[in-house]
Formats: sequence, C-alpha cells, structure tokens
Amino acid sequence: MKLDRNNILTALSIALFFLFVWWANHHLTSYAVRIWEDTLIFLMLSAGYNLINGVTGQFSLEPNGFVAIGAYVTAILILTPAQKESMFIIEPMVPWLANLHMSFLPALIIGGIVTAIVGFLLGFPVFRVRGDYLAIVTLGFGLTIRVVSNNTITITNGSLGLKGIPTYTNIWWCAVWVVIAMIVIMRIVDSAFGRAMKAIRDDEDAAIAMGINTLWMKQIAFVTAAFFEGVGGGLLASLITIISPTVFTFFLTFELLIIIVVGGLGSMTGTAIATVLVVWGSELLRVVEQPMNIFGLHIPGIPGMRMVVFSILLIVIMIFAREGIMGQKEFSWDWLFNKFKGKRA
Amino acid sequence: MSNIILKCENLTMQFGGLVAVNKFSIQIREGMIFGLIGPNGAGKTTAFNMITGNLKPTSGKVYFYDKDITGMKPYKIVSLGMARTFQNIRLFSNLSVLENVLTGYHHKLKYNLIDTILRTPRFYKYENQMKEEGMKLLESVRLEEKANFRASELPYGERRKVEIARALATGPKLLLLDEPAAGMNPQETTDLMYFIQEVKEKFDLTVFLIEHDMKFVMNLCETIAVLDHGVKIAEGKPEEIRKNPDVIKAYLGDINA
Repeated sequence: MKLDRNNILTALSIALFFLFVWWANHHLTSYAVRIWEDTLIFLMLSAGYNLINGVTGQFSLEPNGFVAIGAYVTAILILTPAQKESMFIIEPMVPWLANLHMSFLPALIIGGIVTAIVGFLLGFPVFRVRGDYLAIVTLGFGLTIRVVSNNTITITNGSLGLKGIPTYTNIWWCAVWVVIAMIVIMRIVDSAFGRAMKAIRDDEDAAIAMGINTLWMKQIAFVTAAFFEGVGGGLLASLITIISPTVFTFFLTFELLIIIVVGGLGSMTGTAIATVLVVWGSELLRVVEQPMNIFGLHIPGIPGMRMVVFSILLIVIMIFAREGIMGQKEFSWDWLFNKFKGKRA
Repeated sequence: MSNIILKCENLTMQFGGLVAVNKFSIQIREGMIFGLIGPNGAGKTTAFNMITGNLKPTSGKVYFYDKDITGMKPYKIVSLGMARTFQNIRLFSNLSVLENVLTGYHHKLKYNLIDTILRTPRFYKYENQMKEEGMKLLESVRLEEKANFRASELPYGERRKVEIARALATGPKLLLLDEPAAGMNPQETTDLMYFIQEVKEKFDLTVFLIEHDMKFVMNLCETIAVLDHGVKIAEGKPEEIRKNPDVIKAYLGDINA
C-alpha cells in the first residue's frame, strides 16, 4: 500500500463509515439498525453481482442460488448438534454434518468458499454460452438449488427448513464484511483483470484476439461474486434465523438486478448509492400500504402497493436515465479534486 | 533467405456443403508485407480466422515458425506472437485509448490476483511499467494526446490506428490486418499506407493483410495472393498479378462468358 493522498482519503472515509456504524448502533432504533444491516448485506450481494453482470457484462441470474448455498452452509455449521437433532423430524441428518459445529466467522468463510467452489464448477458449463442463453441457464441454476434444497432432506431438512439459527449477525459483522467485499471487488476492477473484464463486456471476440483468456477472466469475476454472495447468504441466515427453500427465490435476484441497474451497470459506487436508495426506499414506501384518507376518500390498506409504486419508479428511471445513477463511471478522489480545480477528469 | 514465419498447408474450411476455403497454401517470409485479395465472399476472412484460431479448419495445417498451431486457442496464438485487427473496427469502446492498448499486455501480465487484492509492491511496479510502455507505444504512433479519450470518441481513421496499436501491444512478430483501409477516404487510405510501412519498420514486423483497395495493395505489398471462390488462383509480385488473366477474369468476369 502506498501512502498517497487517495489511499489516505480512502482510509479516512472507511474510518468515517465505521464511526457512522458505531453511531447508528447506539443512537438509532433497533428497526433502523435492522434496515441498515439489510442494506449492508444487500450492498455486498449486489457489488458481487455487478462484477459479473456490469463489469464483465455477462448477464446472469444466479445470485439467489449462491445466497441460498451460503445461507445453508453457514446455518448448518452454526446450529448446535442438539438443535439439529430436534429439528430433523422427517429424516435424521447425515451424522457427520449433524455433529459439525463451529463459531460464526469460520462458518461464514466456509459458506463463502463452498459457494465459490460451486460457482467455479458452474462456470465451466454456463460460460460456454453467451448473452440471453447465459441468463437462461443461470436462471435454471437458481431454480435447481431450490429443488435440491427441497429434496436433500438429510442435509437441509427439506421444505421444513432450518429454524432457530443463532443470531450472531449484527451491524458490525455486516459493516466489516461489506468493506472487505468493496475493497476486494474495486481493486479487482481497477487492475489489469478489471480491464480485461471490461474488454470482454465491450467486445468478447476482440478480447480473445488480444490474448485474453476470456473463460478465466469470467471465472475470476464469477467466483469472486459467488464467494461474497455466499458470505452474504450466511449473514442473512443468521439475521433472519429461519431459512427454507422458498426464502431465496428469483425475487431476490430481481431485487439485486434492480439495484445494479439503478446504480449503473459496472459502477460499484453507483451500486452503493442505489442499495441505500432501494432498500430504504422500499421501507419508506410502506406508507402507501397504510389505510389512508385522501380528500375524504377512504382507501383501505393495500398490501403490495409499495411494489407497484416501486415498479413505476423503476420504469421512469429506465426511460429517463437508462445508464443508472453513475453509468459506468466510478467515484474517485481524482475526479473530486479535478472537479474542485475545475479541470476535466 | 530469411525464415518462413507463417506457412499454411492445404487449409480447407467446410461449412456444411459449402467449401469456403479450399486447399489454401501460402508461405510468408519474415519481414514481408503480404497481401491477400479477392472478390467479395472469396473466403479471405475465413482463411484469416483459421490462421488466428478463431475457426478450426476442416483439414490442413498452419505453422508459425515451424510450430504447428492448427486449432490452437486464439489467446494462445497471440502469446506466440501473432496479432490481428478486424474488418469492422472492434475497439473496446467504453475504455480509454490507453486502456485499449493495455489490454494487449494482458497475456504477459506479471502480477496475479493476490497482488491485485493486497496491492503489493509488485502490483504497483508492473502496473506503472505497463502504463509507461503503453504511453510509449502511443507516442510512437503519435496518439499520445488521445490517451485518455474514450475509444468511441475518436474519428474513424484514428480508431483504426488505435486498433493497430492495440495489436502491437501484444508484442507480435506477425501482424494480420483484415481490410485495414475499409471505409476510409483516399486521404486516410494514403496515411494508413505510410502508417503501416512505418510501424512495420519500427517494430520489425511481418505484415499479412487482406484488402479490397487495389491501389493500396499494389503499392504496399511485395507479394500478393489472389483468392476466388475459396481457391488460390494466383500468387506473385504486384505487376504479375495485375497482368494475370485469371485474376482479371475473377474480378471483371470472363469476356467470353
């Protein structure tokens, strides 16, 4: 690490971020803290997703599958043997898994690694196709994970799911992991690897002609995304304490897709802004689901109304700002300073 | 006599019932500018794609410095020292001109993913070294002022130069140009002709190009091969090709037909 202006400023802003986390943890309501935890986990998921979808330009729809794998692995590892024994009532769990128990950090990392390995193996068949076909085969993967988790009863407890997962996740766990994820991903983007990924996005055949091993580059993006999505899944499992095959549906992928599109495909800082907007926005929009009186007209509460409003907002964004908030640009200190000096970046 | 850099032996490409290229054989010596011409649909680009590994030939062999490269993966062929450009310019349009050139260095990248994530001294050393080399390369083709422009912001003629510079970044010994003068006006074409000659001398290259523009080929190339309906009908010096009755027939049609 070099001690130049940009790195010092980055370190300072990370410190500021942790200060905010500390403040939020002490002064915000537990509801608000919970939403911030959600926000940070979603940021981690969408940053990984943006690496493969936005930076490398491989439109894929698999994150819910990765999140599910990470969630299950972590949950199984942190549940106590006694809990597992009482929970698996249809069929007992396979013994070596039933007796496995460890603390949260190694469980999260193993969750991430298992997901990364699955991602690596999945990469070989799916990256044989490009474009729309890639989206379809990866969508199939998400569905497959759901069916598999429903039917491997001796491992996942089938449709009964896993209950009483210890709640280790707090805002600090989320904050530290999201910082790690953002640093790793942004460093990959800002390197020869990132350039190769962007080259693949712009023109895959030309990238091959430049001597870039495109399968390998896609794999790096995919496996990195899978790792952080797996860890995010683990954090999520310990936050919501109950997981079942129906928790991680395509809707999760869709939400992440909204975030990265709104933020700008290929921009990590855009993703950060969009995550806050989308997660908090969908919370604040709960107002529209309350019963209300407008000019004497009584409207009963309509569940799902906020999704309608949300979808309309999305349509508007897609029409008027198709590039998203940041486009492909990235916030950088150089850009900020040049702005102050009135120079073109 | 100098070494043979590229040798094709009976290259054949069949798409179903259609024989796009039939028993195509050539030999290119080091330091040459070799032209491949032919009417539309003659199979020139197909022949190119087989040489660069984009297509796997149905039969026949390609040798690069006596090494059999038939059916080898394109990115591996690049690292052996063969680079190409495309008929319709294919730059990475959202990357800057410098970044476009830097992608050419990727196959000889000297730091790994761990260096990238931990930002080790090795990362900074080679990243800066690459950028310096890239700028030097851009200077040598007089594009250094455009280094931070997005590739899509450049005019057509300069985009072609960037594409050639990007190919040069891979450190090739043999440069394959697929219709470099396509879509250019006469002035740009003349510029490009001098440009190709210049980089050939500067980078000690062998050039193999496909072209439609007769004047361009006749002035630039030392040896020309003519392809018609997938078959090589002539090969020789420009003046020989100009007089060859088969070539005239292929381009203008048979008087007696």
